[in-house]
Amino acid sequence: MRKLLMSGMFAVVLPVMCAPLPDEPPDQETGSTNVNTRLIVESVQVSGRDRARLSNPLRSDLDQVAGRNFDPPLLERLRSRIKQELHVPEVRMHVAKGGMPDHVIVNFEIGVEREKRFALDLSRFLYHSKQGWSGQGHATMNLHENAFSFGMVSDGDRLSERFAGIQAGFERRHVGTDRLRLRFDFSSFHEQWNQASLLVAAPDEIYRTRTHFSPMATVVILEPLDVSVGVDFARYRLSLPVANTESSNAVVTTLRYHQRWGSAKDAGEHDLRASYSLRAGTHVFESDPVFARHQTEARYRFRRGQQDLAVGFLAGTISGRAPLYERFVLGNAETLRGWNKFSLDPLGASHVAHGSIDYSYRGFLVFYDTGAVWDQPQEREQKQSLGIGCRKSGFQLAVAFPVKSGTVNPVFYAGMNF
Amino acid sequence: MRIRTIKPWWVIAAFFSGMAFAMWAEELILTTHESRLEFSAPRVHFLAGKPLERLRNASEVPFAFKVTLWSGTRNHMLREVQTRFVVSYDLWEEKFAVTNLVTPRRTARHLTNLAAEAWCLKEMSTDVTGIRPDEPLWARLDIRAEEIREAGLPFGRGSISDSGINLTPLIEIFSRPAAATQPHWIQETGPVTLDELRRGRRG
Repeated sequence: MRKLLMSGMFAVVLPVMCAPLPDEPPDQETGSTNVNTRLIVESVQVSGRDRARLSNPLRSDLDQVAGRNFDPPLLERLRSRIKQELHVPEVRMHVAKGGMPDHVIVNFEIGVEREKRFALDLSRFLYHSKQGWSGQGHATMNLHENAFSFGMVSDGDRLSERFAGIQAGFERRHVGTDRLRLRFDFSSFHEQWNQASLLVAAPDEIYRTRTHFSPMATVVILEPLDVSVGVDFARYRLSLPVANTESSNAVVTTLRYHQRWGSAKDAGEHDLRASYSLRAGTHVFESDPVFARHQTEARYRFRRGQQDLAVGFLAGTISGRAPLYERFVLGNAETLRGWNKFSLDPLGASHVAHGSIDYSYRGFLVFYDTGAVWDQPQEREQKQSLGIGCRKSGFQLAVAFPVKSGTVNPVFYAGMNF
Repeated sequence: MRIRTIKPWWVIAAFFSGMAFAMWAEELILTTHESRLEFSAPRVHFLAGKPLERLRNASEVPFAFKVTLWSGTRNHMLREVQTRFVVSYDLWEEKFAVTNLVTPRRTARHLTNLAAEAWCLKEMSTDVTGIRPDEPLWARLDIRAEEIREAGLPFGRGSISDSGINLTPLIEIFSRPAAATQPHWIQETGPVTLDELRRGRRG
């Protein structure tokens, strides 16, 4: 009888004990509807390209998520901030089990921007009252991370000569790794010279045409620091009675740093860019002129609300005999604005130092430039200029005045992307 | 002359296989329990495909459910029940949790995918008091998976308050056809009478 009773009890109790949990009665509650909010975030990672461009405040906010409960609305806000800050079309959030029980790892994957198969860009457009029109545009065709571009340029602003011609390029943005890019550029220009330049130039300095071919590799060393290494093979035809072609083949190295804190969507934003470049014409590459050109540039920009402050610095030196297109020019739409480059040094100079401060409020712009170009130390003379204007969405219109005794001769310029 | 006869076991086999096929083919099954009409749809698996992908990525996925009951020659709508469920998937337990957002909110946890689907359908049961037992009925079940909007709130800002869920957006959802990319499931059955259901014939 006892055996029968025990068997009966087991028959009743065992199925109950083995019954699956799902049949438990439903709870009445008002808490989170996501059951994973009980889990702890073990770590937060960001993967994909451009992650180095994330601002420090956002990185700090991402780091703070680790150790806290899984919070989908908070993570969604962070995902949205990454998207806005990097200007990428998509940021996906992946959540996976962590190394510890009840912990999860959150990974924000930055989506690859959908390539435009074909793009037309007006990369620079400028009218300068002393130097006339300058413009540069190009068409780009993207095919599986390969970019083929073709463009035309006519520029009377950047160098002491006006150069006009074609540019073509090929870029492979991903060579085995995101850290390596390859680029090949070809350009062919015809030159026009200002009378002031022709008067002071030696006959073997002036050239009528030049062509460049420059293969270049860029390696991201440690984000946000990258280095480009390559060679610029240039050939130019001199304006001598007997046509003569020279070659200037230079090793090119550029070290760049670009860090940003905040984004256009934030109340405040900081942006720091710095670079050092060396171009060395050497007999190793059978270059006719032998020279070494060093240039360093830095630009810091700070924005808070409608106020925008930018401070720029440029310094450079050339040793040896460099072609004229390598020489430093001040007195254009970007440096010593208000001065005429031909009155400062019609052929450019072998040394340069320049600084500028731009301040804008609600698009209203004021700026101050100072700098000097020289070949010999005794020629060094600091110049200054002031200007006012307006700037909005890449478009700028300004009047600049050279600070000097005597006549007031303002320079007017307008354009975009310069 | 030899007379061919059909052996009884053939008849039995044909009957059971026909019945099994009929049951398998049924999309929406109706049953009665006391005064309530209950629904099941063993062939409908909404915790699959894209919604399941989202769930396995620790997201919660809202589903909008609507059951419609017609009578007569399907020209008279008797009942329409709409509700919303939020499903989530515990990454560590590998079990589902479902919340019925209609006040008072009810949540079931530690469910398998089949149990979670069944729980949602069970929550859709409707009172059939007042419907004549011999009245022909048609039923339709409409399920739509929704996107998470507005920083994680399943049905948009303002839809859920202390007093419960605002049904206006729910009505709006079913007022427009499902988008091509929106996972949705529709099942129908009928005509069937309550008498038939009570006698054991499944709807």
